[in-house]
Amino acid sequence: MKLVIVDYGMGNIKSIIGALKYLKVREIIVSNNSHEILSADKLILPGVGSFSVAMHNIKELRIDKCLKDAVLVDNKPILGICLGMQLMGESSTEGLYTDGLGFIKGMVSKFSAPDLKIPHVGFNQVSINKNTRLFKNINDLSDFYFVHSFKMSSSANISQSLCTYDNEFIAAYEKGNIAGVQFHPELSQINGLKLLDNFIKYF
Amino acid sequence: MLRKRLIFTLIYNNGYFMQSRNFRLQKVGNIDWLEKNYRLKDLSFSLDELIVLNVSRENRDIKEFSTILSRLVNDVFIPICAGGGVRCMKDAEILFESGADKIILNTSIYKDKDFVFDLIKRYGSQSIIASVDYNGNNVFINNGAQVVDIGLDDYIKYINNIGFGELYLNSMEKDGTGFGYDLDLAKRVANNISIPLIVAGGAGNEKHLIQALMTDCINAVATANLFNFIGDGLPKAREKILFTNGNLAQW
Amino acid sequence: MSKKIFWCKNCLNMSTRPRITFDDRGWCNACQWMEEKKILDWTPRKNELINLLDKYRSTNGNFDCIVPVSGGKDGSYVAYQLKHKYGINPLAITVKPALSLEIGNQNLSNFIQSGFNHIHISCNPVVLDRLNKYGFIEKGLPYYGWLIAIMTAVIKTAANFKIPLIFYGEDGEIEYGGSTESKNKPSYDIEYMKRIYLEGGHEKVFNRIRADGDISEADLAFFQFPTEVEVSEVGLSFTHWSYYETWDSYRNYIVAKEHCGLIEKDGGNQDTFTNFSQNDQALYSLHAYLMYLKFGFGRATQDAGIEIRRGSMTRDQALNLVKMYDNSYPYDLIDMFLAYYCMTREEFDLVLDKYVNRDLFGKVDGVWRPKFTVGEDFVI
Repeated sequence: MKLVIVDYGMGNIKSIIGALKYLKVREIIVSNNSHEILSADKLILPGVGSFSVAMHNIKELRIDKCLKDAVLVDNKPILGICLGMQLMGESSTEGLYTDGLGFIKGMVSKFSAPDLKIPHVGFNQVSINKNTRLFKNINDLSDFYFVHSFKMSSSANISQSLCTYDNEFIAAYEKGNIAGVQFHPELSQINGLKLLDNFIKYF
Repeated sequence: MLRKRLIFTLIYNNGYFMQSRNFRLQKVGNIDWLEKNYRLKDLSFSLDELIVLNVSRENRDIKEFSTILSRLVNDVFIPICAGGGVRCMKDAEILFESGADKIILNTSIYKDKDFVFDLIKRYGSQSIIASVDYNGNNVFINNGAQVVDIGLDDYIKYINNIGFGELYLNSMEKDGTGFGYDLDLAKRVANNISIPLIVAGGAGNEKHLIQALMTDCINAVATANLFNFIGDGLPKAREKILFTNGNLAQW
Repeated sequence: MSKKIFWCKNCLNMSTRPRITFDDRGWCNACQWMEEKKILDWTPRKNELINLLDKYRSTNGNFDCIVPVSGGKDGSYVAYQLKHKYGINPLAITVKPALSLEIGNQNLSNFIQSGFNHIHISCNPVVLDRLNKYGFIEKGLPYYGWLIAIMTAVIKTAANFKIPLIFYGEDGEIEYGGSTESKNKPSYDIEYMKRIYLEGGHEKVFNRIRADGDISEADLAFFQFPTEVEVSEVGLSFTHWSYYETWDSYRNYIVAKEHCGLIEKDGGNQDTFTNFSQNDQALYSLHAYLMYLKFGFGRATQDAGIEIRRGSMTRDQALNLVKMYDNSYPYDLIDMFLAYYCMTREEFDLVLDKYVNRDLFGKVDGVWRPKFTVGEDFVI
């Protein structure tokens, strides 16, 4: 099984690799090469930082096209993590209004409420959608590690698992071969490792 | 519900991990000692985050530090924050590449505003933590050696407007004393910032941790007290915090 | 007849500690005293101090009192308080130990530099070393000569300078768990010193030295206690600072650091987790190790007790540290000790063997190992 972590210059890839190695994934490639991406069995789209900078990088590297082919045409399983999860949505209000990859219907906007500490940092509980493969064998309301200032919401039927910080937002979504998690499974102790394992096993 | 966090800070100095008392350092042991007496792999299950600070004063070798960092992050699946002497983009790159999930800045906040902005722009505000060492109303940089010409309140206001992800507030006076945190000041600061607050300096045992975690506006507690939490100290502390209904994550 | 060995329920003081007592909660007298100190009304004792100082304040420009110091936190604290808080004119005295450590010398120098009148007494090292060696062999007290001299040489100086009042730091028996007989007594006497601090055996050691034939009575001058007559002539009065004010060794450390230039041992210690106390002489480690072999507790247990009683550490936390540090054969200093005592390693170890409590320890591969687990009561 060849797992490719899409490298567009943003994201704590080393931690993800560490988790995958622990889960005994043998072939892990970090690349932005379209050939590698198109020959992957599974993909991980990481990301930490600015949505607009990320989309800019992705377009510069022409990864957007091969990702669309890999995910929407070849139906390769893809797990978006944190910013990666947001990038697969339609748009974000961050920076300039920016379009995302558009794999799923969902919009990203900033947390904003008076007296709310931003970013949302720390372990928080996820209300798990019954219809899930990602959270198989994980208890409802388990804790995962979040660190983000922007959140995603969507009206689409994408098995949304939710988290609450001031209001509810999407902690995770999954539809077909596409999955996204707002939290960092590679930083979420045993729950996170289980989730990554589930992605590997059930997608 | 968002949980609060229990953070351990490892103070690293030229090959050794240190115990700090009022900012005076005592050599405790190297990474082998740490692995033997803290069983890092197990340890990270008692923590929400780990901070590793390079306080080496002479010959601060970031490459050497990054090697130690890589070793520490092996099989540790919680966020790791690294810092100490981060002065340029290359320093940050090296640390991120070695396994850091976040970077912590101290002296650079005062000395190189442009660098700080660039760093936040590149890696995102959630990846950069501001660290402030204070004593009374004075703020200190360079490992507590130099006092800054801005008072604490103004300095905090300044930091709040830059765009950091979090504030790590460290009491030099309480540091290593085991007398407990400077909670009054922490509360005052928390009410004047819009980013999460990590309180540090003074924890000796779980009672201090519990007290701070029960304070509404404090988001996380950090301790660097290597001696007091040695062996099964941290797992036991976490157990006791959870037992008294402290709001920490469970696995 | 079996005997139960147990630990204080609050700190980690062992029941084997000489003269220690426990209440029905299982708390040792040091911990009980810690509780009492918090609620005690110190005013009467403070007044006693003021009266004492008034009584002995010199009327002719002489020093008002003597403070024995080593350069460490405790003596420095007492001297500092006397001078700056009470306006007293103290004369600090140090009796030079054998095998003094560089950091100890630095601390003493820093202390003096911070502004004190000071006398540095070197007792004839030939005599001191001989007394130390015999103390090591005969009593398992490796710096016995110095233990005597910090009393006798100081007293002799006090008598000669006509400064009757001598302030020692803390009464270790009260603060750390021992005899409580002097708890409510501000001053003590030479009989107490001989009985408690010297463990009533110093005549035996002296006789051995006299038997050697090469050391005269005059050579022993600095090591002789004064007679009753001499004591009353000068009006000598020995007292502990810890009687008049709550004794807090961490506070002493902070004050000594801030005002007397105290520095810590950066590299830490082999036998404990602290680095800011007992830094004046190498033989202290050996003294602590012998205490461990005799009674089952070492330097780390002592330090842990202090931390627990001041509220910075819990007993559970302390257990980890004691287990880590207490059994500490002085490998790093052994060469120095052998050279000092002119002994071979075998002879040295034989002396240690003499003092090991075999109910507590067993030799495994040539090393003494505890038969017990710290904190787990057992029966011998």
